[in-house]
Amino acid sequence: MKKVLMIALIIAIVAMPIFSAGQAEKVSAQKTVTVFGAFVDEEAHRFEEAIRPFEEKTGIKVIYEGSKDFETLISVRVEGGNAPDIAGLPQPGLMLNFAEKGKLVPIWSSLGALIDKNYAPVWRDLGSYKGTTYGVFHRVNAKSFVWYPKKAWAKAGYTVPKTWDELNRLMDRMVANGHTPWAVGIESGGATGWVGTDWIEDIMLRTAGPEKYDRWVSGELGFNSPEVKAAFEVLGKIWLDPRYVYGGKNYILTTSFGDAQEPLFTNPPKAWMHRQGNFITGFFPEEVQESLEDEVGVFALPAIDVQFGIPVLGGGDQFVVFNDRPEVRQFMEFLATWESGKLWAQAGGALFPYLDQDLRAYPNAIERSLAEALVNAKVFRFDASDLMPAQVGAGTFWSGIVDWVGGKSLDAVLSDIQRSWPK
Amino acid sequence: MSIKTEQRWLRLVNASLIVLVLLWAIPIIGLFISSLRAKSDVLNSGWWTILYTKSRLTFANYKQVLGGSKYTFVDSAGRTVRASGDNLSRAFINSLTVTIPSVIIPLLIASAAAFGFAWLIFPGRKAFFTAVVAMLVVPLQIALIPILRDYQKIGLTGSYLGIWLAHTGFGLPLGIYLLYNYVSTIPRDIFESAFLDGAKPLVVFARLVLPLSVPAIASLAIFQFLWVWNDLLVALVFLGGTSDVAVLTQRLATMVGSRGQDWHLLTAGAFIVMVIPLIVFFALQRYFVQGLMAGSVKG
Repeated sequence: MKKVLMIALIIAIVAMPIFSAGQAEKVSAQKTVTVFGAFVDEEAHRFEEAIRPFEEKTGIKVIYEGSKDFETLISVRVEGGNAPDIAGLPQPGLMLNFAEKGKLVPIWSSLGALIDKNYAPVWRDLGSYKGTTYGVFHRVNAKSFVWYPKKAWAKAGYTVPKTWDELNRLMDRMVANGHTPWAVGIESGGATGWVGTDWIEDIMLRTAGPEKYDRWVSGELGFNSPEVKAAFEVLGKIWLDPRYVYGGKNYILTTSFGDAQEPLFTNPPKAWMHRQGNFITGFFPEEVQESLEDEVGVFALPAIDVQFGIPVLGGGDQFVVFNDRPEVRQFMEFLATWESGKLWAQAGGALFPYLDQDLRAYPNAIERSLAEALVNAKVFRFDASDLMPAQVGAGTFWSGIVDWVGGKSLDAVLSDIQRSWPK
Repeated sequence: MSIKTEQRWLRLVNASLIVLVLLWAIPIIGLFISSLRAKSDVLNSGWWTILYTKSRLTFANYKQVLGGSKYTFVDSAGRTVRASGDNLSRAFINSLTVTIPSVIIPLLIASAAAFGFAWLIFPGRKAFFTAVVAMLVVPLQIALIPILRDYQKIGLTGSYLGIWLAHTGFGLPLGIYLLYNYVSTIPRDIFESAFLDGAKPLVVFARLVLPLSVPAIASLAIFQFLWVWNDLLVALVFLGGTSDVAVLTQRLATMVGSRGQDWHLLTAGAFIVMVIPLIVFFALQRYFVQGLMAGSVKG
C-alpha cells in the first residue's frame, strides 16, 4: 500500500513539470519581449499600462519583471546566460560595466535617429560608452525642487524666492516669525547620506557650473578642491545652523528621507520647506496627496550664480538590449517616443524627458511645472554619486556627509573622501 | 539544600525565564500592534503609545496586503479605470508549489542515502560520506551562477522542476548528515533479523527505517520547509519574479514599493506569511523536540 502511494507521488512529481512545460510552449507561440527592471508594485503596473498600446498595435507581448534586488540579480542572470531581452538600469555604472564586457547590443541607426529627434543631447551622452550608444531613457526623475505647504505660506505671506539671496532673506524672515525654514532627514538604511550628496550636487551645479561638475564626477577635480569645499560651506550655512533646520543635527541624522517631509504638514507647520525629488509626493500624507494642488507648492532650488541659470539634477532608468530580435527592436523604438510615456504621465507620479511631449498630459499643475522645468533646463546633470566610482558615490561620499553633519571638521571629511577615490 | 531555599531558587529561575520570554516577545508584539495601526499612526508614533493614548486600530493594512493595493489609471481609450494590484493568493499557491516538492524530494533521497551510508557496505562509503559532509560548508551563493548556466543549457530556468532540484541539492547535505546520525542509532539486531528473514534492502528501508526515523524526518521536514518557504534568493535566480511564478517572499519584498514608501504594509504581510509555517510547525511539533536530539546519543 505504502509503495503504491510512493510510486503515485513520484509520478505526480515527475508529471507536474511536463504539464507546466506544455503550458509554457503554448504562450511562446506569440512573440514576446522580456523586460527586467528595478521598479516594482504600483510603478510596475503603471509601466504595463503605459506600454499596452504597443502590445495592442503590434501583437507583441511584453513581460515585465521587477525586483527590489535588481542590481544583484541582473549581474547573476547575465553571467549565468539568462539575460532578459531588455533591462532598465537605474545606474549608468551598470550600463558601463555591461558595455565594457560586451554584453550589450549597441543601438541601431533608426533608433539613434529617434533619440536625436526626441531627446536633449545629454540623454544620448548618458546612454553611451566610448562613443557607442546603448541606453534609451524612459521615465526620469528630477531632484532640484523645494516643496512647501501652500496654504500655510499664503497665510504667513511668504513668496517663492527667485534668487539665492531671496531664499536667504526668506529664511531669516521665517526665523524672525518663530518658524523653522527647513525639514531635512538623511537616514536611508545602508544608503544613509544620499540626501546630503544630492544637496551638494545641486549646489555644485549652481556655484561651480556644469563643466566643473563634470570634471568633479570624473575625478579630475578633487573633493579637496576649493570648489567642493565652497559647496559644503553653502550647505553648512543652512544645515549646521539650528535656527534653520527643524530638530537640528539629530533630526537630520536620524530621520528617514521619506518621513522628513512630515513637519511641513502639521498644523501649524513645524518646518516650512523641504528639498527633494519629484518622487517625494508619494510619501506625503494621504489627505495631502488627495488635493495635492491645493496643499502643496513647489519651486526649483534658485540659482546661486546667475550665469549657470537654474540647473536640474536628476536621474532615470535607461533601457538596454541584451538579445537582438526584431520584436525587441520594435519595442525599444517605441520606448524612445512620447507615446510610451503618455499614459503613465496621465496617471501621475512620473516625468518624461521627451522634447515633443504634451505637457497637458500631466494630471496636475505641480507635475506639469516639474516636467516643464526638466524639458526647459539649459543644464541637466545626472546624479553625481550615481556616476562616481561606487567606493565614493555609494560609499565615502554618503558616509562623509554623515560624519560632517555629526561634527567632524570639513577639511578632514573632504580629504578622507578624496583618499578613498580609486587610483 | 532545604526545601525552602530550593523553592526560592525555582521561583527565581521562573521569574527570570518570564522576563526573558517577555523580552523576546516584545518585538513580535510591537510588530503585531503596528500591523493593526493606520499608516500615519505608524509613521508618527511608536506602537507602545496605544497603551496610554486613544488610537484606532484597523485592518486596513491586512486588507491592502490580501487584496492588493488600489490604484487608478487611464486606459488607452482615455477612460479612468480603478483596479487593484497583485494580491497574495497567487503567490501563496506559487509558494506551496515550490515548497512541497522541495521538501518531499530531498527527504526521500536523504533518508535513502542515510540508510545506505549507515547500514549498507559498499566500496568508497567513507569517502562519499566525507564528501557529503564537506558539502555542508559550501555556501550556496557561489553555486548560483554555474548552476544557472547549466540550467540555461538544458532549459530548466524558470521551471518549477528547476527550483525543486536546486532546493533539493542545497538541502541534501544537511539532510543526509542529520538522518545518517539518527539511522545509525537504530539497533543492529533489528536489521539482522530482517535480513535473516530474507528481506531485501529496499524492503528494510521502507518497512523499518522510514517508520523508525519519523521523528528525525519530521524535524528535518520542518527545517527544510522553513528554509524553502523563507527563501528569496534561490527563487529569484532560478524561477524569476514575473507575477505568474513569484513566490510570497518576492511579493512581500515588492510590496513596499520602489522606494520603500509603503513599508508599513510589511507588518501585516509578515503575519500573513507566518501562518503556514506556524501550521507546519505545530503539526510536526511533537516530533520536533525528539528530533532535535537526532543523533546526539549514538548507540
